[in-house]
Amino acid sequence: MTTEPVAIVGWALTPMTRRTVNSEAELLFEVISGATEHAGITRADVDFSCAGSCDYVAGQAFSFVQNIDAVGAWPPKRDSHVEMDGAWALYEAWVRLQLGDIDVAIATGSGRSSTADPATVYPMEMDPYYLAPLGADVVSFAALQARILLDAGLVTERQMATVAARARGAAQGNPYAQVSGEFDVDALLEDDYVRNPLRRHDLPPITDGACAVVIARGDKARELTDHPVWITGFAHSAEPHHPGLRDLRVSASTTRAARAAGLDAAPVEVAELQTTFTHEEALLTTALGLGPEVAINPSGGPLAANPVMATGLTRVIEAARQVRDHGKQRVLAHATSGPCLQQNLVCVMEGTR
Amino acid sequence: MTTFVESTVRFPYKRSLGPVIGQFMTALTERRLLGIRAGDRVIAPPLEWDPETGEQLDPELIEVGPAGTVRSWTWVAEPSPQHPLDRPFAFALIELDGATTAMVHAVDVAEPGAMTTGMRVAPRWRAARVGHLTDIEAFVPGEEPVVPADDAGPAAEPVTMMGYEASIVYTTPLPGNQERAGKAAARGVLLGFRCPRCGRIYSGLSGSCPVDGLLLSPEDDVELPQVGVITNYTIITPVQYPGQTETEPFARVQVLLDGVDVVLAYQPVADLPNVDIHTGVRVAARWSEADGRKVLDGWAPTGEPDIDDPSLVNRIM
Ligand SMILES: [Zn+2]
Repeated sequence: MTTEPVAIVGWALTPMTRRTVNSEAELLFEVISGATEHAGITRADVDFSCAGSCDYVAGQAFSFVQNIDAVGAWPPKRDSHVEMDGAWALYEAWVRLQLGDIDVAIATGSGRSSTADPATVYPMEMDPYYLAPLGADVVSFAALQARILLDAGLVTERQMATVAARARGAAQGNPYAQVSGEFDVDALLEDDYVRNPLRRHDLPPITDGACAVVIARGDKARELTDHPVWITGFAHSAEPHHPGLRDLRVSASTTRAARAAGLDAAPVEVAELQTTFTHEEALLTTALGLGPEVAINPSGGPLAANPVMATGLTRVIEAARQVRDHGKQRVLAHATSGPCLQQNLVCVMEGTR
Repeated sequence: MTTFVESTVRFPYKRSLGPVIGQFMTALTERRLLGIRAGDRVIAPPLEWDPETGEQLDPELIEVGPAGTVRSWTWVAEPSPQHPLDRPFAFALIELDGATTAMVHAVDVAEPGAMTTGMRVAPRWRAARVGHLTDIEAFVPGEEPVVPADDAGPAAEPVTMMGYEASIVYTTPLPGNQERAGKAAARGVLLGFRCPRCGRIYSGLSGSCPVDGLLLSPEDDVELPQVGVITNYTIITPVQYPGQTETEPFARVQVLLDGVDVVLAYQPVADLPNVDIHTGVRVAARWSEADGRKVLDGWAPTGEPDIDDPSLVNRIM
């Protein structure tokens, strides 16, 4: 795969909270201002913008239209929207820069999950014939997959609790995290099930938040910063929508995306994975071929903050931060969408040697 | 103090089923379950396309089930209104006999201890079936389907459509500018905002300057004139859908207030018959009062001469 070199040159996140009083557009004003400032540019320097958000989460048709105000419409900009996590908006922005005629793009992800019960929102995006009429919610889907992994001996409830404790312990160092602290695994395993076999700690918090990433092409990236974080591989892959059609013990699309993104070419030091549920970590690290030497979710990951539609793009930011602020050389970010890890995205990033 | 607004959005979908799913739903009314061949696999419930190859599948469906095997399950201790049962139940992945894939459905048992991976289940049919996935009320343990004594029999005609009714309650914080504009309107005042950078004056509720990418604040509030011109309009002939209360054709107009840079969109009119609405009509706000609060009834003609500007019609934003 020969691609135009594109680098992440700036980013910003809102604090991740259980309930914000700001509108989605206001959240985006904050992160677009922050990300452009971080990149050392103004809104006028942005040639293309792509947003990831969801009308059903917002509770309003064409909710993304008013969010465009936050990008700044002058001079006129090319703009796009994906009804997906912002990680896919970044993918589209990256593809757009491959055309070679523009230099700078911004991708955003935003969502206010607090405004409605996520269990009633989620079925709206499912198959309308066989899944939505059952009110099939995301936690139930996750629990069905978790049991398959448990039955197959691929994970244990203790390992799942350990993932939660580690994630929320790591989140103590992350000022953007929502849930953090020291947790005792034995105590966690005493809790009742929310959706057997998932307990409270196996689930992500309900989170409001947004984030933005500025990417730039080649020389423009070098001009803007001495520390560009180069995107050296970027791919995504989907599987059938219906969980009942798939082998839920593996994540074939994650493996395919990782291969297409060139993950195997060299080791990575850090992986930020969209492990929205604890059992997904074992599944994803296997699918990605990550050994114990790879640090998983040093930010705390989605178990510490889960701003739906921004959770995946946040993984890209946290992985890029490991390169830019912590001197790591090669990292990966993963994002997922759909029931039981239906569609998966892998972004490989590297610093400048 | 932020004001939160509660709203319920209903999604009363009606969907056509097509040749494959229609056959499946029709068969449900006959208390039969169907699957479709895709290479070596039998997919149940059936899909129109092979999920591996994308090829259209032969819509010759084959009977599967009615009993099946639980491949995974979870326990729903607190059902939501959208769930199929109103008491605790299990969601399960059920591989129907003769199928090689699993379907998601509910299993009705008293407690999670009654569930195991590998257990056998069969459908409990509703007495009155309409060709909907919930014609199976739930699966129950065992090999034998449960049929109510008052079984109403199959559908008289092939099932071609299905309804899906969902409703979501949203609790949304009201942005500060909208709250200020709402309070002003209750006094009969139209509140707008002047961008401190470019000087443009915005009507309505946006609260930001999209040109500059700038949030506006209470210091930017301005009182707007209540006289302007119709730039564009639409006459809506109502079709009856859930929630529609209008029965006669009605108008909505875009109003550009004097000295303001953006239009007020989708406004009602007053004292202006549909046939007389056109671009260029000078209009003024018409208020009424109810419970001590002003209410904007619509925009009424001022009687001034029309504004003759061909570019006005393009002012839709
Ligand atoms: Zn302005």
